[in-house]
Amino acid sequence: MNRRIFLFGLSTALSSCTSGRKPRLNVYNWDNYVARDTIGEFERRHGCRVRYGVYASAEEMLAKVLTGNSGWDVVFPSNSFVQPMRDLDLLLPLDRGKLRNAGNLERRFRSPEWDPGLNWCIPYMHSATGIIYSNSVARVPQSWADLWTESYSRRLTMLDDPAEVFAACLKRFGCSINSADDRELRKARDLAIEQKPLLRAYLNEEVRDQVVAGDVLVAQMWAQVAQVAISSNPHLSFVFPSEGFALYADNISILRESKHRELAYEFVDYLLEARTAAAIASEVHAATANGAARELLPQSERNNAILYPSAETLRRGEWFRALSVTAQRLRDRYWTEIKSA
Amino acid sequence: MISLSRWFRAPAELVMLLLFYLPLAMVFGYSFLTRGAYGGASRPVTVEAYGRVFDLLYLRIVFRSISIATASTAICLVAAFPLAFYIARFARAKTLLINLVTLPFWTSFLIRTYAWMFLLRDTGLINVVLQRIGLISKPLPLLFNDGAVILGLVYGYLPFMVLPIYATLEKLDPALLDAAEDLGATPWVAAWKVAVPLAKPGIIAGSILVFIPCLGAYLTPDLMGGGKTVMLGNLVQNQFTAARDWPFGAAISLVFMGAVFVVMRLLRNYAEDSL
Amino acid sequence: MVLGVFSFNASRIANWNGFTLDWYLQVFGDSLLWEGTLNSLIIATATTAIATALGTLAAYSLWKTKAPVLTTSLYLSLVTPEVLTGVSLLLLFQLLFRLIHLRLGMHTVILAHVSFSLVYVVLVVLSRLRQFDRDLEDAALDLGGTPWQTFWHVTLPLLVPGILAAALLCFTVSFDDYVITSLVAGIDSQTLPMLIYAMARKGVSPEVNALSVLITVVLGALILAADRIEQRSSAKLKA
Repeated sequence: MNRRIFLFGLSTALSSCTSGRKPRLNVYNWDNYVARDTIGEFERRHGCRVRYGVYASAEEMLAKVLTGNSGWDVVFPSNSFVQPMRDLDLLLPLDRGKLRNAGNLERRFRSPEWDPGLNWCIPYMHSATGIIYSNSVARVPQSWADLWTESYSRRLTMLDDPAEVFAACLKRFGCSINSADDRELRKARDLAIEQKPLLRAYLNEEVRDQVVAGDVLVAQMWAQVAQVAISSNPHLSFVFPSEGFALYADNISILRESKHRELAYEFVDYLLEARTAAAIASEVHAATANGAARELLPQSERNNAILYPSAETLRRGEWFRALSVTAQRLRDRYWTEIKSA
Repeated sequence: MISLSRWFRAPAELVMLLLFYLPLAMVFGYSFLTRGAYGGASRPVTVEAYGRVFDLLYLRIVFRSISIATASTAICLVAAFPLAFYIARFARAKTLLINLVTLPFWTSFLIRTYAWMFLLRDTGLINVVLQRIGLISKPLPLLFNDGAVILGLVYGYLPFMVLPIYATLEKLDPALLDAAEDLGATPWVAAWKVAVPLAKPGIIAGSILVFIPCLGAYLTPDLMGGGKTVMLGNLVQNQFTAARDWPFGAAISLVFMGAVFVVMRLLRNYAEDSL
Repeated sequence: MVLGVFSFNASRIANWNGFTLDWYLQVFGDSLLWEGTLNSLIIATATTAIATALGTLAAYSLWKTKAPVLTTSLYLSLVTPEVLTGVSLLLLFQLLFRLIHLRLGMHTVILAHVSFSLVYVVLVVLSRLRQFDRDLEDAALDLGGTPWQTFWHVTLPLLVPGILAAALLCFTVSFDDYVITSLVAGIDSQTLPMLIYAMARKGVSPEVNALSVLITVVLGALILAADRIEQRSSAKLKA
């Protein structure tokens, strides 16, 4: 027993030792969403230390911060998570006066549908879901329906994400990707089961390697990841399906539990600087919501059609929304049916 | 004598009470609640979660998990026994070899799984080599199917099977095998008829140590199966993360645990003690 | 036989992505990886220390007398899916932290690891004890020793190889754990498996391969060394 107490004390002492004298900001972000020196420069400017954690899914982040006592200060929720996190009282209402650079945001992100007053979050990077394909395919995919054909048999993958798979199926009937209607969802489920024998696998980001290597010819993929793939293999292309596609954006929010609010505001403001955002967008091949940053990007990146689709293309896009409990239940059940078919 | 044993047990019992039973009781409590709006759980109190467990869809998943786990365990046994036998009987640097066999086990499970995925891909080493030497013309679909899942499970849990069997075989008196051979049996028959029955406790222990984790595995089916197979582990995992339906996840897990526990008790009564 | 060698080599074959040392250097330079490794080491060592001590004592007790409650709980913990263990502990910690002002961190991970690794220790030590000759203990008692003295001076020293084996197993299980750790880890406790998972999700990265080769080599060396020591000590025993 003594040993336990000793070790307990030791570990607590150790962890408090490492925190040091400088104030420490705790940032919890998606992986690969900052440039090499982004954090370092912030630390130097403000004489602080930043603990930078990464997560792979929004659910993972939510599970961690749900208690209101997680230790994180700044998080990056996707747009469909902002409303739920507000309802759970997890977010700090933003004092816009403290964010001098908020004016840098691109027009269409100054009043997004998930937070019209930008009281709870600041849009950070945005993306969409489409189809990436190898230029060597005999039949170039233009729509979701093309993914149901025999042409790519076994060298086709879809995302391992119920929201995305349902979105693709629902778009084929012209329904909303956020549909909660049981009949529509059931039709979507049947479609997905129909497609399953044609699929190699349900994979998320990890399929990028396989597409680059040529294992997989066609994949449902996020625009940002597709751009990264194309950068390493120019014989790939990306298309926004004709029936419509899903849009999403990651945003910066400060948690209500944060003990370093001032520092957190500085961090958000720092990320809103044109130079910082441009550096990040350039390095990770992401589409920044920061209009001023976009101006600073080289011509080729600024007008990259994959990352910054034209207004006409965007018209076919639809934002993800938070779903009701019943809708979630239905979708989850159908997703299990799809996966185990 | 007894009082010393009592003292010795106490810390372990305390740990189990606080860090096992208590959490389990909480899960038990959760299984009677309803899914909260964004995860977690809240009133009303209901047994609905349990009712949903016995749905045909989930029973199918259970069945599938059992068959995959059984296949994996069987293959593991067939692979492990000769290996353990060889090391116990013939090898000279026994401990070293046993440790080498378990060595890959010590590198991260994730890394090993990804290494296998890398090998089995269409452009992976195996397919490339086979194509080069002309054995096949098109790449074999080695990955993202049930077979790959079984392979992954067997590879991952092999040490769990080898070690108990080796432990029993090591105590085996070589004289027994020599005697059998003297009586005219070939080494194969001697091994089969003598070693196997005597190694039974080890075999049973190993099988349990492999079968149960296989049932609850979720990383392997997810990665090696390409997300196309849903096993029990995936189902539970999904409830606690993406689906955020904790009461349901709790109910499934508890039912599953209960069933396995009952089966294990039966097995234990049947076999000599391996624990 | 072939299988043994193959399983040893399989993960190394997959790592021959080119013979540059660049990636190895990158591994060494990656401070995040170092922090993760350090965390994993601290957690595994603490867990092993606690679990081995408690487990050995418990195994000894179980060898002497029957304790159905403890045996049942150990069995159950073996049967529990990792996700469930992780989630149940998470629930417990979250409830606890509403009362006392703590958060998830290294200590919660260590507690969680002890919880599930206890059974492994008991299994190994108990099986060793089963091979143990009771007469030795009886002899010691007859010679006038107390139960404690018997344990400490007679049984325990002979049990050392078994305890070491259990400790090794415990260390491995703890170091390698992903599922439970990811659920109960706090902001300061990113472990190596968590980092590897994050890296590997983005595709096979040469850095991950380099890392795994490093780990294999280090562990291989450790095993060889341990074996050498054991041979020397058993030679001494025979002499």
